[in-house]
Amino acid sequence: MKEHLPPGIAIAKSENLEEWQMDIQVLDDNPLYRGQTYRLKFTFGSKYPIEPPEVQFIQSAAPDPRPIPIHPHIYSNGIICLDLLSSAGWSPVQTVESVCMSIQSMLTANSRDERPPGDADFVSYNRRRPRDINFFYDDDNV
Amino acid sequence: MDPSFDLPDSTDWLNTPLSLLAPLESSLRCQVCKDFFNNPVITSCSHTFCSLCIRRCLSKEGKCPACRTSDQELKLRRNWAVQEFVEAFTNARPGVLDLAKKAARGDVGLEQPASKKRKVEHGEDRESDSVGADGVRTRSRSRRLDPQPETGIVEAVEDSQDEDFIPEDGLVACPICNKRMKNEAVFRHLDACTGSASPNKSRNLGPLQVSQTSRSPGNNTTEKPPGRLPTLNYSILKEGVLRRKLRDLGIPDWGAKQLLQKRHTEWMNLWNANCDSKTPKSMKDLLRELDIWERTQGGHAAAASAFAPPSVMRKEFDKEAWSATHDDDFKRLIAKARKKSEEQVRTTIPKMEELPSESSKAAADGPVTNGDKPESPRLPSAFLGPAEVASNSAPSLGPSPNPEM
Repeated sequence: MKEHLPPGIAIAKSENLEEWQMDIQVLDDNPLYRGQTYRLKFTFGSKYPIEPPEVQFIQSAAPDPRPIPIHPHIYSNGIICLDLLSSAGWSPVQTVESVCMSIQSMLTANSRDERPPGDADFVSYNRRRPRDINFFYDDDNV
Repeated sequence: MDPSFDLPDSTDWLNTPLSLLAPLESSLRCQVCKDFFNNPVITSCSHTFCSLCIRRCLSKEGKCPACRTSDQELKLRRNWAVQEFVEAFTNARPGVLDLAKKAARGDVGLEQPASKKRKVEHGEDRESDSVGADGVRTRSRSRRLDPQPETGIVEAVEDSQDEDFIPEDGLVACPICNKRMKNEAVFRHLDACTGSASPNKSRNLGPLQVSQTSRSPGNNTTEKPPGRLPTLNYSILKEGVLRRKLRDLGIPDWGAKQLLQKRHTEWMNLWNANCDSKTPKSMKDLLRELDIWERTQGGHAAAASAFAPPSVMRKEFDKEAWSATHDDDFKRLIAKARKKSEEQVRTTIPKMEELPSESSKAAADGPVTNGDKPESPRLPSAFLGPAEVASNSAPSLGPSPNPEM
């Protein structure tokens, strides 16, 4: 797999079956993301692929800078609001590659230079993992 | 991936002269487990998956993972054609891949497509002679170094899996009615064959006799498991009744009702998937698989929960355990809520029940900064903003959801 990924997607770390890291780039000329590489962390539970992996952006400093991309669905702590990563939107036919491509296209399509509403609050108090947050969202509405 | 895991993958074909086999191989792999189809079954919406994979999906979501159409496990049907295709392909794979890699390195002066074609024809010509000679080659994934023996292996494989294992009578069986006849007569016969013997049954029983090729050695005399297990409506079953059912099935019956349910579902999936197998495993093997499940996802999986937090989204999520573990957090939050607004006092309501109402309340009050509450039930309100909390159960989670993504 590693030699045959789509352009702009590369495996950064895949030593075990619990956590992988992927580097993604936005390939078109979108000024928000041009020239940057972003790192995604995939955490796989024991029920993967029946249940979704946890996917979020992670940040690192120079010499290998990996910022958190600006996007109205991406919080500045790297947590991504994306339907297909939720329990309801997930399908076991998804792969690491397909998730990366979805996130890549989510970035490509964006032109808004902004964070989600309530980003500062959310980032300041959130200690939870993404899937638990989604749970409460679902729970509120069901 | 660690290079020591040399797992076969469809991308193995890329960079060889047979790169067009990569999509072919992909199409022979289950979209859920990404391995070759194992006991493939077809859904009502005509998607094919491993029997066990789709059963697990359906018991969780009730939808086809490929197209999200609702489906029921009762409607799954075996897909023998795909099964045979997979077996033939995986048998041929090591040899063909080896040749292809050699050709890619320039070791082999052959034109690949031609040599492959010649090999197949060759195999057919000699089919009747070689029946039984190598008839019981198992599916080996080991690399063969010498291209010459490949030819033999490919032939042997075709023979062993298509027919009853009847050596050296010079005859082959019609794949539909199983009648044995001379090789040359098969194609003429096929045009007229009505498949008088029930085709499913004969396909089914035939290979049972050659179960040397299966992964469950010593099982070839075992009868097919008697019948499929029906789904249970867990909500109307009392814990004691469910426990007794598990005991009757011969599987572990310890644990709380949620665990009993999960275990029963897994067992039903394992069992019914095994019913779809041409070479069913023994009860002992199935119990071993259930034990693996128990250790990774069932009652013994506690250690793993550091990696995978309790799956709070599952229907059978253990509310009591969750409330107990997070009791302190809940209490703290309740205290906070009381301070903030007197009318939010709801001490009589069980704690789990309180969560949703707490958070919708919080939503109505606007975002609240909760400081360092790791288990804050208010997260969603601030996470989503009041509008989304009020709007009903949209599947997207973004503040301005875009379903495309």
